[in-house]
Amino acid sequence: MLQTAFNGLVTGIIVTLPALAVTLLFGVLKFPNFAVGSMMTLAAYLVFALNVQLGWPLVISTAVVAVAFGGLLIAIDYVTFKPLRERGSITLMVASLGLGFVLENIARLAYGNTARSFAIELARPFRFLDIRMNREQMITIVVSTLAMLAMYFLLTRMPIGRAMRAVADNPALALVRGIESPRIIRWTWFIAGMLLAVGGVLIGMDRALEPPMGSSYLVAVFAAAILGGLGSPLGAFIGALVIGIVSELATLVIPPNYRIGIPLCVIALILIFRPQGLFGQPYIRK
Amino acid sequence: MKKLTRRKVLKRLGAAAALPIAAPFLNLAHAQGASIPIGVALPFTGNAGAYGPDMAEAAKRTAAKINSAGGILGGRKLELFIEDSESSASVAANLSQKFINVHKCQALVGYWGTPEGMSSRPIAVQNKVVLMVSSAANAITEGDTQGYVWRFQMKATDWGIVIGRAVQRLGFKNIGIMGLQNAFVLPIMKTVEDQMKTAGRTVTGSLIYNPEQPSYRAEVERIFGKKPEAVCCFGLLPDFVSIMKEVYRGGFDSKVIALSIMADAEGKFIEAVGPQVAEGIRHFQPMPDTSAPGYKKFLKLMGAPDDRVYLFPPNTHDQIAVVAMAMEKAKSPMAVDWSKQIIPVCNGPGQNIDDVVDALKLIRAGKPVNFSGAGSTCDFTPNGDQLGRGMGHWIIQGGKNVFVEYAKP
Amino acid sequence: MISFLILISTVVCFSAILALALNFQWGLGGMVNFGMAGLYALGTYSCALLMLKGGANTFFATLGAMAIVAAACGVIALVTLRVTEEDYFAIVTLGVGEMLRLVALNEDWLTKGALGLTGIPRPLGDVIAPEYYQYFLLGLSVALLAGTVWFLNVIARSPFGRIMRALREDDVVAATLGKHVLWARVRIFAIGGAIIGLAGSLHGFYYQYIDPTQFSNIVIAYAFMAVIAGGRGAHQGVIWGAAVVMVLLEGSRFMKDLIPVLDSDQLAAIRIIIIGIGLILLLVFRPQGFMREYRLQVNFK
Repeated sequence: MLQTAFNGLVTGIIVTLPALAVTLLFGVLKFPNFAVGSMMTLAAYLVFALNVQLGWPLVISTAVVAVAFGGLLIAIDYVTFKPLRERGSITLMVASLGLGFVLENIARLAYGNTARSFAIELARPFRFLDIRMNREQMITIVVSTLAMLAMYFLLTRMPIGRAMRAVADNPALALVRGIESPRIIRWTWFIAGMLLAVGGVLIGMDRALEPPMGSSYLVAVFAAAILGGLGSPLGAFIGALVIGIVSELATLVIPPNYRIGIPLCVIALILIFRPQGLFGQPYIRK
Repeated sequence: MKKLTRRKVLKRLGAAAALPIAAPFLNLAHAQGASIPIGVALPFTGNAGAYGPDMAEAAKRTAAKINSAGGILGGRKLELFIEDSESSASVAANLSQKFINVHKCQALVGYWGTPEGMSSRPIAVQNKVVLMVSSAANAITEGDTQGYVWRFQMKATDWGIVIGRAVQRLGFKNIGIMGLQNAFVLPIMKTVEDQMKTAGRTVTGSLIYNPEQPSYRAEVERIFGKKPEAVCCFGLLPDFVSIMKEVYRGGFDSKVIALSIMADAEGKFIEAVGPQVAEGIRHFQPMPDTSAPGYKKFLKLMGAPDDRVYLFPPNTHDQIAVVAMAMEKAKSPMAVDWSKQIIPVCNGPGQNIDDVVDALKLIRAGKPVNFSGAGSTCDFTPNGDQLGRGMGHWIIQGGKNVFVEYAKP
Repeated sequence: MISFLILISTVVCFSAILALALNFQWGLGGMVNFGMAGLYALGTYSCALLMLKGGANTFFATLGAMAIVAAACGVIALVTLRVTEEDYFAIVTLGVGEMLRLVALNEDWLTKGALGLTGIPRPLGDVIAPEYYQYFLLGLSVALLAGTVWFLNVIARSPFGRIMRALREDDVVAATLGKHVLWARVRIFAIGGAIIGLAGSLHGFYYQYIDPTQFSNIVIAYAFMAVIAGGRGAHQGVIWGAAVVMVLLEGSRFMKDLIPVLDSDQLAAIRIIIIGIGLILLLVFRPQGFMREYRLQVNFK
């Protein structure tokens, strides 16, 4: 029971970074990006290329890819989403669906369907309060927490973060106040790219690298973001933890192969009873 | 009514040319002396992608061997149409349609995976064309196949029998079982579980997981958390890599028993998890009896070294060989006729023989034969299940696969 | 070769019906559906199971499948009653689609799980000889496709069609004009669902064997591609769109002969990359597609 709860915590932590990326992107760009799963996959394979094929240490590979991936997403946005910006959220969603297929299959084209792993030594677990924990889980928890703190600092203390929140709240007003939204959008993609790259590496460490690794998390990631209220970073963090723990604990009573049903039920319940999510503001229609 | 007329016409034409009425677009030149088309659907893609090329090579070399010895039915050559089944049910179904309708094939061979076999079975039976599969799921040959479906592989329940027996012999008193939601895995799981229970051993837990899950933590926790002496895990390579990483990092010590397509996969498993995690895993796979003379001849045909172990290509060889022999014996390229000659040729009674060209000569001379192939002794139950194939048993030690034994069900 | 063309044409027909369903829900009604794959599976399995387990004949099984998918779609539209935001709706459809596929995979007692269902009966399968059956099935598929187009055209030109387009353009305005938005949305999605059920039934009749792997998410991309290429809202255009997509897919199999270095895994990946890029390019450069939506024409004389 305690062990399962801890496992759930780890699952939840893994979901936090992509959920944060989704919620940031949604806040600024106003559409749910279905390509986030595949973006994580591609980033993880890029790290794999540096880490395994070139033999760089995992930390350095991740850092390099995170920055590069941020840049890559800005470029992708320029050719994919920017021309569609004014066409409404459905068009953008469909484009993100197409983009997701493209990115996942670029990874497949390069590395095939075989399962792979990063070049890290696997370690046996240690015990704490009779709960088994292992090194990768510790790394996951530490990295995600640091990333969360950095995000919090960025969004509340730094001008660019405050500008992002302003654009998320009200783009028109932000523009009136002299906040350039193209610049903010570029920053948002860059930060989301970094979060997704790190998230992809954490997933790759947790399981094996294979092309569907990222998209298999899609429902859980969106459930976390919706639970927290799309657009709310703190909400995404808490939403992810709740989704992770609830899904793992649920396996004690339901067959584990229906775990994906839990995030789905959470989405349905939230949409029926509290559409704005736990931490979101009620959406006011124009 | 239409069926009746068709049969009548067939009889009239059968002896002379056997021109299929269902093939009105066929060039008349095909009727005499022309080649005999065989559809070969092999996996070049997906889970089994690694096995396709060797199987294709085996098919080509076998056909070439038969053709260079004069072909069959008075000098007609075998013509292979080799296509990629992409390990997918609908692709294989489309291929089967194409083989039958475009290339006018009366024999469909290859069909490595269960989805491919299952989706092509109704097409083959309906068109009265022989389908030879290498897939394991019991359902492939269950029910009325009208003698058109033949399995060149051990049935999944037989895999379970061999593995279950090995588990008992290794002395494990309690085991956990986990398996991928997959058509050929489930009968193996069930057989092993039943065997353990009848032998008075304990099954501490048994569960099924989905392909492409985000993580396998809950499953591993549930099965390995009960600390059974051994865990039988049946699935495919990608899920097994994630599971074994979880098992190792979870600090579980249960011995792991798996299938070679997961734990070997041409070395890809050990490459992905490293020798430490892979240490001590036992894995099983149906394989040819490498000491059989038929297998030795096959190695020569492939130009391979004496110690090379081919898992699936020998089956492909046997499929082509059996097609040729049955056609020769029936003196007809039509599956309606020669499908009935598969058992006489394979099970005998007749002279024991393991070379397809020699067998063809004897058949032409009107003598009965009992063919033993490269992949097995090529004996069949009336419903098309293959007998006489066994399983290899390996253990991973120090990052290498060490052969343990060969056993038949 | 002719037989093969007939088979491919049959596939194009039921793909086109599926694309028409999406076109109806999304192109006309503005309700995006990312759960196509799961709902398509629901339709196919419902039809097959009604025959295999329920003992229904092909006609009633097809009707049953249409009703079941329509009901499922109606429930999806109801659950999202409080949020008419497309974003949430899209995510719900995505999740429901995943769930339906999981049910098909895991409920062995009903769907036989990964083994799939085999021996699916076909309409008039006992009466028509196997060698002529493919011609019949093509004829049936063409007839059903034509019927679907006719039906959708009638709806598109009816008052309900105008409500749909109003909802698509701006549901607040539609509500202000006194239209019952929720009820209209449920109806739009359910009618689309019924058409998905029809396409699914044909899928089962064609393959006679179904398993969960036939309903992967790429089905969604194909359907969207067909709709966007054909022109949102334009029914006839969507048929051409579906035909082009299927020809692209089947045609790309011949690429193997042209580029021998690539293995089939890579070809499969390239095929999907092409579909994905094509989708984005169409959205960017030709969002109106190659055919125009029906507009009421008035001749001034």
